[in-house]
Amino acid sequence: MGTGVPSGMTTAMTDADLLTLTQWLSPAFPVGSFAYSHGLEQAIDAGAVRDAEALFIWLSNILDRGTGRSDAVLLCAAQKRSVSVEALSDLARALCSSRERWEETRAQGAAFTEAFNALNDFSHDPAPLPVAVGHAASLLHLAPERVATLYLHAFASNLVSCAVRFMPLGQNAGQRVLARLHPLIEAVGAEAATTRPEAIRVSTPGADLGAMQHETMDVRIFKT
Amino acid sequence: MFDDPRPQMQRTRGQALVAMSRRGGATRLDRLVQSGSAKAFLPRVHADVPEIVFLNTAGGLTGGDKLSFGVNVGDGARVVAATQTAERVYRAAEGVAEVDVCLTVGKGAELHWLPQETIAFEGAALARETTVDLDRDARFLMVETLVLGRAAMGERVNTLSLTDRRTVRREGRPVFVEPLAIDTVALAARNPATLGDAQALTTLAFIAPGAEDALGPVRAALEGSPVNAAASAWDGKLTLRAMSPDAHGLRRLVAHVLTQLRGGPLPRVWQV
Repeated sequence: MGTGVPSGMTTAMTDADLLTLTQWLSPAFPVGSFAYSHGLEQAIDAGAVRDAEALFIWLSNILDRGTGRSDAVLLCAAQKRSVSVEALSDLARALCSSRERWEETRAQGAAFTEAFNALNDFSHDPAPLPVAVGHAASLLHLAPERVATLYLHAFASNLVSCAVRFMPLGQNAGQRVLARLHPLIEAVGAEAATTRPEAIRVSTPGADLGAMQHETMDVRIFKT
Repeated sequence: MFDDPRPQMQRTRGQALVAMSRRGGATRLDRLVQSGSAKAFLPRVHADVPEIVFLNTAGGLTGGDKLSFGVNVGDGARVVAATQTAERVYRAAEGVAEVDVCLTVGKGAELHWLPQETIAFEGAALARETTVDLDRDARFLMVETLVLGRAAMGERVNTLSLTDRRTVRREGRPVFVEPLAIDTVALAARNPATLGDAQALTTLAFIAPGAEDALGPVRAALEGSPVNAAASAWDGKLTLRAMSPDAHGLRRLVAHVLTQLRGGPLPRVWQV
């Protein structure tokens, strides 16, 4: 459309960018996500999440009405540069509802930025994870809703993997939960691209309280 | 014969603003502005820290109402502000009740913002925006409790549109943002990640240099309570969340924690 680039070349470029994004969001990228359960460990320990159905409900709410949606909005705003990275980092930090929530997004964001900078010879400042990924993704020719959708998928996939390690839930049952979340992940990713950061709303007081209680659990295998 | 189907409803309007500053070694009143159904008064208290009490004389809120409250605390001054009673938000025939709270706290100053509960009844629609601007070294304590209907009266709220956004900025940068929303969908699909079995929920935020030091005493104050509650502290802030099916039990716990944290009694209007 006036760019003079044949459509075949656009597709090739997009595929290359998609592979780059896939690499960033892969569990092999040295971000350390496996150590963070986002409070799910506490929810399982307290009996709030006992089976695949309860896990599906808990994750649905985190994605739709909690950190999932707010992170996706922050990511899209960072990618579109509609708000400065500094202002979004401040907002992401202020939105963290407890010390471990802040540690989770701060530490993963710092690790992501370090790996991104090393890979690309860039010098991005560390930022909370969704802001760091959005900022990095502004270099890619990918629609923000697409990046947000894949980001949310990686987030949900990591939490399913935490659940499989910590509760009586088989690998296949876990993957079925993740597959059932796909339509919601797509919807939240698409809506996030048109939501302004000041319109972020959160309706997960139960999960936020549980994440605080994780801090004082006697035995913990996850950092959050 | 169908002309004029509805009378124009009378909407409540109100604005109350109190400014105080430190002069001659004491915190004094600079300005008190009030209009409509919002009132503010300063009861005589036998303590170093003056109290401001706000009141909505309309006796509750409904769709279309607009109220705003403000407190300005000058450099080095200390002020406590509360509300005379719990604020009731009734069924909205149309529109949303809008409440704006703007608080500013000067350099090294301190404000305790301790409104009593907000009780939302079936069909209520409320959009509340609390914005707090802290200058360097200012200390700020805030508590907000939402109650969903009067459980003791057997009321169950199923329809609700509530947004309650709390923003605290330090020297212009946000340090605490809680954009809470509770709607009909959240009430229909109660689950442990959202409301669980709670009829009342509280957020407490203490934002001050060294606020982390209060975590031990606050956690100790939570011990033994049947209320589901926890606290966390980091980066010059302490937050506490509590949720309960029992609004009275929650109120007792919040009063206990505030008394421990403040090292003194609550404003008399709390009557606990």
